[in-house]
Amino acid sequence: METQEYISIETICRQHQVTDTFIMSLNEYDLIKVTVVNEVKCIPQRELGELERYLRLHHDLEVNTEAIDVINHLIQRIKSMQYEMDLLKKRLQLYEPED
Amino acid sequence: MGFIDYYKILGVDKKASTDEIKKAYRKLARKYHPDLNPNDKEANKKFQQLNEANAVLSDPEKRKKYDKYGKDWERGEEYEQYKQSQQKQRASSAGGGQGFSGGDFEGSAFSDFFESMFGGAGFGGTSDFGGQRRGGGNVKFKGQDFNSEVNLTLDEAYTTHKRTFTINGKNVRITIPAGIADGQTIKLPGYGGEGVNGGPKGDLYITFSVSNTPQFKRVGDDLYANKQIDLYKAVLGGDIMMDTMSGKIKLKVSSGTQSGTKVRLKGKGFPIYKKEGKFGDLYVTYDIKIPTNLNSKEKELFTELAELSN
Repeated sequence: METQEYISIETICRQHQVTDTFIMSLNEYDLIKVTVVNEVKCIPQRELGELERYLRLHHDLEVNTEAIDVINHLIQRIKSMQYEMDLLKKRLQLYEPED
Repeated sequence: MGFIDYYKILGVDKKASTDEIKKAYRKLARKYHPDLNPNDKEANKKFQQLNEANAVLSDPEKRKKYDKYGKDWERGEEYEQYKQSQQKQRASSAGGGQGFSGGDFEGSAFSDFFESMFGGAGFGGTSDFGGQRRGGGNVKFKGQDFNSEVNLTLDEAYTTHKRTFTINGKNVRITIPAGIADGQTIKLPGYGGEGVNGGPKGDLYITFSVSNTPQFKRVGDDLYANKQIDLYKAVLGGDIMMDTMSGKIKLKVSSGTQSGTKVRLKGKGFPIYKKEGKFGDLYVTYDIKIPTNLNSKEKELFTELAELSN
């Protein structure tokens, strides 16, 4: 059976010096998934990396949750286009090999 | 380390106000932030430079030192201390001491000088890039994430195999699953830098670069290859042997095959990542070899054929 580790929102707020309002707003935008375990609000540990990325965007660039959501969508699109571009480049190389 | 012009990095004048510096930093940080430029090493480097420039120029004290000592700004305080100690020595030795020598100063090694000079915060500035935000001394932080690149040949990527890497003097043995894609990154949790104040270790991200071979070109899970067949086989049809990545196979060539004809060999392509027993396809393009240096008999027969077809 797969085990899932959680980290409490309180710990994240303390370590990253951020309010739980901000974390909850990320949850409202489905950017992270907050769950309640033993009456404590937590996130799955595997989502910590993503959460830290949102916190960096928030702190470094002073962007709010709405903007983070928009950025997230655009980055996903860029990644997907990048992947498609790499694939097309490879296909093109079949017909026009590089010297 | 060469001199870095922090004003140039931020694109501001030397007389720029703190607000102007902050504004320039914010503008450029939005452009080069690593989270907005994934897998862009240049942007990453630029952002680090911006942070460094901002950390120095947005702090009046550091900026003063930087402006005063220019390229030797980091060593400025040591220089002052050295100068003072030399003056004291001169005074105590009644003129018998050695005067200050710039050469001696230049020869000194002051590693981590910046951190010791500015309280161990490093180039944090207003940013927490790398996940190590400045803060209370007992707060735990995750260690730095490391990135590494590994080159694989197509043959190596074709089979699941183990490989040992040395990361920071530590041997790391990993299993590379068959079918790993060019540019694919895998994460090894806990193989990054040490955590701060007992925090968890960072992660190691390994990006694979898989090169094609002259014989096979890979696109996704499919392979592409060219196969030369002689004119007679193309005209009359028959069997040929074809190399695939899993060995030789017999191929049936239909009569009247044209040059450039493409055939698909289902399941003879590349293994699909983490889907055991599943493979992409192999696309073979026929290249028909026209005979050269015909002898008189052959010429005669071709002429006869030409006349027949007319």
